[in-house]
Amino acid sequence: MIMNNNYIKRLIFSFLAVALIAVPSAVFAAVPDAVKKDLLEKGKKVYFKRCVWCHGIEGGGDGPSADRLFTRPRNFIQGTFKIRTTDSGELPMEADLITTVKNGLQGSAMPAWGEFLPEDEIIAVVNFIKTLVQDRDFDDIEDEEVFVQDFGTNPWGTKGPYHLGIPQVDIDAGKEIFTKNKCFECHGGEGRGDGNPTMKDDWGFPIVAADWQQCWNFRGARRDPFDPFHIVRTISTGLNGTPMPNFKDQITVEDRWKIAAFVNSLCPRKKIDRLTNKPIPDFLIQSIYTEGKVSPKIDDPSWQSPDTDDRIDAPTDETILENPKRHYIAMAGQITRGKRNFDPKTDNLWVTTRWSAEEQAVYYLVEYHLRFLSDDPEYPDSVAIQWPAKLQDLYGAEKPYFILGDSKKPIDLWKANFMPKDYSATAAPKPEGYQLDISVEEFVGYGFDALSAKESEGKVEIVDSIYKQGRVKIMFKRSLVTEGEFDVQIPTEQFIPVAFMQWAGRNKEKDEVMAISTWYYTILKPALPDSLYYMPPIMAAIFVCFQGWLVWMTKRTRQMYDEGKVRRDEIPK
Amino acid sequence: MNKNLQCFLVFVVGLAVFHYAIFPIFTPKEVGWILNRYVYYLLFIAYLIITHLVLRLKPSIAMMALFVMVLGYYFYQSILFPPIPWTLFITYMVMWSIGTFLYVSQDAETFREFRKPIVKTIVGEYKFAQIVVMIAMPILVGFATYKSIYPDYQEPVELRTVHPAPPATTKVHGKTYPLESTNNPFRIDEQDNYKDSFPFLDAEKHEYMKYVTEGGTIFFQNCHYCHGDQLNGLGMFSHVFNPTPANFIDPGTIAMLQESFLFWRVAKGGPGLPNESTPWSSSMPPWEEHLKTDEIWKVILFEYWYTGWHPRTFGTEGSVAGSEGEE
Repeated sequence: MIMNNNYIKRLIFSFLAVALIAVPSAVFAAVPDAVKKDLLEKGKKVYFKRCVWCHGIEGGGDGPSADRLFTRPRNFIQGTFKIRTTDSGELPMEADLITTVKNGLQGSAMPAWGEFLPEDEIIAVVNFIKTLVQDRDFDDIEDEEVFVQDFGTNPWGTKGPYHLGIPQVDIDAGKEIFTKNKCFECHGGEGRGDGNPTMKDDWGFPIVAADWQQCWNFRGARRDPFDPFHIVRTISTGLNGTPMPNFKDQITVEDRWKIAAFVNSLCPRKKIDRLTNKPIPDFLIQSIYTEGKVSPKIDDPSWQSPDTDDRIDAPTDETILENPKRHYIAMAGQITRGKRNFDPKTDNLWVTTRWSAEEQAVYYLVEYHLRFLSDDPEYPDSVAIQWPAKLQDLYGAEKPYFILGDSKKPIDLWKANFMPKDYSATAAPKPEGYQLDISVEEFVGYGFDALSAKESEGKVEIVDSIYKQGRVKIMFKRSLVTEGEFDVQIPTEQFIPVAFMQWAGRNKEKDEVMAISTWYYTILKPALPDSLYYMPPIMAAIFVCFQGWLVWMTKRTRQMYDEGKVRRDEIPK
Repeated sequence: MNKNLQCFLVFVVGLAVFHYAIFPIFTPKEVGWILNRYVYYLLFIAYLIITHLVLRLKPSIAMMALFVMVLGYYFYQSILFPPIPWTLFITYMVMWSIGTFLYVSQDAETFREFRKPIVKTIVGEYKFAQIVVMIAMPILVGFATYKSIYPDYQEPVELRTVHPAPPATTKVHGKTYPLESTNNPFRIDEQDNYKDSFPFLDAEKHEYMKYVTEGGTIFFQNCHYCHGDQLNGLGMFSHVFNPTPANFIDPGTIAMLQESFLFWRVAKGGPGLPNESTPWSSSMPPWEEHLKTDEIWKVILFEYWYTGWHPRTFGTEGSVAGSEGEE
């Protein structure tokens, strides 16, 4: 009898749902999709082959890998799911779970299963996962009514992949709404997630706010990171299990799209690799030749560069087009040697560089996002540039081992250690940023366990640095040629291997516990040659002469035909 | 002249319609027999021939040469799949140009007809064409010179041997293993018998599945960061490293290797590679530093079970117990 009742109620809800889908922009009530019992056996098999490793035998988010993952795998037992179309705190619709499984959760270990598993296996496993929920019941239509949210439609009709062309007035309006609703308290003044270091998720594990300037790591961005829709959805539904609430009552749908426009405008448009869902790294770091001296000030206009990938046709400020590019360097935890770091705090660095022939020096501006800095002098924050110490001895593609060199090929490490002045992670961040107590150390490395300070006098300088709104900026300077035995001697117009390392003091990172990049190349580009200005006209003039000769020759041949001196198509004797 | 213009329109409009409207239909995601890019190309040629016959068009030989050149260019640029590198493209186009030239110069009559518009342009009988060509060409030459002088640096290409020749023996945790005759000690049964068994669920029922479960546990505590939850080399850190982590789903990796080769690679990692495999940039740890010998073998067992591949086996000579039932 109860079954019957349920069935009728479901039927009514489905009719209602269909009726309301036909009228867009309306919140509609429904019941969660019931567990499809016939799929459970199949779903269980998929789960125990593919999912159990992270999500655990009972779905408690405690599989073998869980303790080494940050963000931890989701615990299904309470029925809290992040990516939904339903209201905050409610169970998701089956379609929400299916899209989550299909697209994965970017920026976490959850991969996109849509290209790996057939559709029927995904539906089956989603139904099995519903049965792992213990505290809630997908079949309980009395208590589990859900309200499917209304997200409106993209008012600007922008198109993927980059969703450019949202009017500035809407972005500015979005910024005002952002300020009014105090989003900065968790997400930080410029959206780098640097607002609150003490947040915990529902299970008591530490959690941080999303970094809006790295939208490719947005959970639920469904492999389409620049689409403002995902932001609207998150604002409307909140993220269950996390401190992210919903704002559906405080902010109208139209305004949610404006916030989304603002949040979306902060994310630099980088070309995204479809396989990894991350920006494609810039493997060649080009140092621009600078006339006269290089400005040693980070704020100088000569150091302002577009964030956008130069492979994307986006409007940028013309005045900075000639400036050096900001190169994207991907970082990962050092999980190869010694004590491993499974939980790096930095995902990437941005490197801009110039050199000057007059000064015979090269400048590297290294920037990265870091939500919170260390206040423990024993664990300062650090960032380093690694070079082959004996560049001249390397043959072909040969390099030292990328993790601090090897016994035969040493590396030269420029490491900047810093502590912010008058900083407290829990206090409201200063809008003007923090000056840094910074010092630089130079090391020679013959392996991760054989790193020693150089005996020669240090030649690397930090000419400027700041920590502002969740972003560290440090400018290194060094002469191209130095005396030290293990100093890299920097040639121009040559590919030089270079790698980057970063230590987050707050995470107690030290020695080989760090974030690391692989080897990149850098090159000091020469000044534009003068021949660039005179050779093209000369070549064009020569060609004009050739054309004149051709006309003359052709006319003369014609005349010879006409005068009968030569006959057409006759092979000369 | 009017006829020539008609021909030109038939060609250009036809190409535009075919390329933008019809080509997408013939390039579906899954490869089909009929909906195939080469069929599409043949259809386009058929369209050209039929329209010319129906409309009784007779393009001049120079126009024909132009059509042939464009058809060749279009084929190598858009039709041929997978796309070819530009060096090869240039080689093909040079050959194609020579062929086109042979076609127009096959006899004196056609060759003269071919030359006629060119000569008329040069001597100025086609005044407008002459002015355009005489101005455009030097500008193009100047521009090409500028492009060739402008300093442009591309990231150097580095070649690397993916599966280097293994050594004869490898010493792991104080024990020497000859690679020629070492088998996985945990491969105690035929793998296919466990295709439909599941880790954890069947771990207590079958010893084999117990080893698979243990291997998977180690994999998901250590290896998935690079090799991925799907073992496809797309783990959460994989985009950072160059060379990129191996994709075990690919038939070119573990499917064609012996387990002892894997054992050597896993135990010795990046630093254990020979120089041709760029040991300096491989992020593969020497796992002997982190795992026990048994753990390495169990991970290898798991990788084969999960992907469904079978390890390559030795010939009957080197084969030792445990390989029974394998092909």
